[in-house]
Amino acid sequence: MATSIDKPIPHPEANVWLSEFQAILQGAVGGFLFGIPLLYTVEVWSIGAATDPRWLLAVLAATLIGVGLLTQVEGFRQTLSLHPLETLLESIEAVAIGVVCATLALVLLRRITLATPLAEVLGKVVFEAVPFALGVALARSTLQGKRGRVRAENSPESEAEPTANRRTTAPLSRWLSSPTGGNLGDTLVDLDAALIGAVLIAFSIAPTEEVPILAASLPPLWLLLIMAASLGLSYAVVFASGFADRAERRQRGLLFSPITETLVAYLVALLASLAMLVLFQQLNPSDPWSEWLSNILVLGLPASIGGAAGRILI
Amino acid sequence: MDLPNPPGPTSTDASKRFTQRSAAEWVTFIVASLILLGLVGLILFDWQTNQTQPPAFAVTVSEAVRVTDGRYYVPFAITNTGGRIARMVQVTGELNIEGADNETGEQQIDFLSGHETKAGSFVFTHDPQEGDLVVRVASYRLP
Repeated sequence: MATSIDKPIPHPEANVWLSEFQAILQGAVGGFLFGIPLLYTVEVWSIGAATDPRWLLAVLAATLIGVGLLTQVEGFRQTLSLHPLETLLESIEAVAIGVVCATLALVLLRRITLATPLAEVLGKVVFEAVPFALGVALARSTLQGKRGRVRAENSPESEAEPTANRRTTAPLSRWLSSPTGGNLGDTLVDLDAALIGAVLIAFSIAPTEEVPILAASLPPLWLLLIMAASLGLSYAVVFASGFADRAERRQRGLLFSPITETLVAYLVALLASLAMLVLFQQLNPSDPWSEWLSNILVLGLPASIGGAAGRILI
Repeated sequence: MDLPNPPGPTSTDASKRFTQRSAAEWVTFIVASLILLGLVGLILFDWQTNQTQPPAFAVTVSEAVRVTDGRYYVPFAITNTGGRIARMVQVTGELNIEGADNETGEQQIDFLSGHETKAGSFVFTHDPQEGDLVVRVASYRLP
């Protein structure tokens, strides 16, 4: 994913597909940011499982209307969409992205397996798709942030001089010549932001009963998939989706390559999960180590997404 | 952001912008529509087939009794053969052995959707083969 984006594009035709892919990725990232907290709510699973199909259709229609209203203000694509018909098209796309992301997340957390009956699958997907779809529609307006918009207005030449919204006052030339000087502090600020984001999310999920429920239902090797998803989503939020200006991140993150930074941020998220689980006495020294491991990794998924959001927002 | 502008003439006129949708965006829209139509279709299908049937239960007790530390583990599986979901399904297992106290086991299943199967075990101190084992569903609640 990363390599294909970083490669120079030889043909203008490829750009259309690449930018479309990135727009979808941005929307999906927004969906996960908004959807993950509701994903860790046992009531939503059970309500979804027990809901009448007619009500599910109504929920789906309401989601489409809500997303349509949000899309009128700003679509998840690069362009501001003003045409009413285009608003409708983008709303349908946003809801579909939300549905797909919610389904993937439910499969990842084993809420949907091959043994799950159809009615239950549909109910869970429709209810979980609501926050995901709203997240897709909100992705650009919330996550792009001030920095991205100001930057988009600025010409590329202004990158060279330190702008008001840059975190450091050191000139760019000094950054590039001494990669460890002011960079260490900047990396620490990044990790700090990751820690804040991870703690915020982990704090709200750790005291609930979802973490042990989810952890208990995972087959042993499934934890590896959870880890991979945590790392992949964290990477996608910060680097692949293009929310944070990549050029800026490259300059700031010289101490760590994107992959290293993702790994370090994941470790920070796991530490935050551990701290929150211990804080709320969800884990005791008498518990077996496998329970510690699975609970920390399961809580590490939302925590790493929160950490990634922290790194691009703070 | 190093994304390119949409191809073609860049018009700021909102009414003309619609025609600028690229092939990639149309592919996204078609796939998205198919996904949503599929979802709606599945919901309608589920409505037609499942929601008219009330819950009904079939309990099967496995022959493969496991003995560990002098206790007998009797696996069972319960299936909701109806269409609608049942909550708080109470499964009781009663082991009647002549000359010994009756042993009972209870199991409550929070959610059992239509056509869903859940499994568990009853644990007895006497060999269930020597007595009369009755496993049945005692009660359930509608959501």
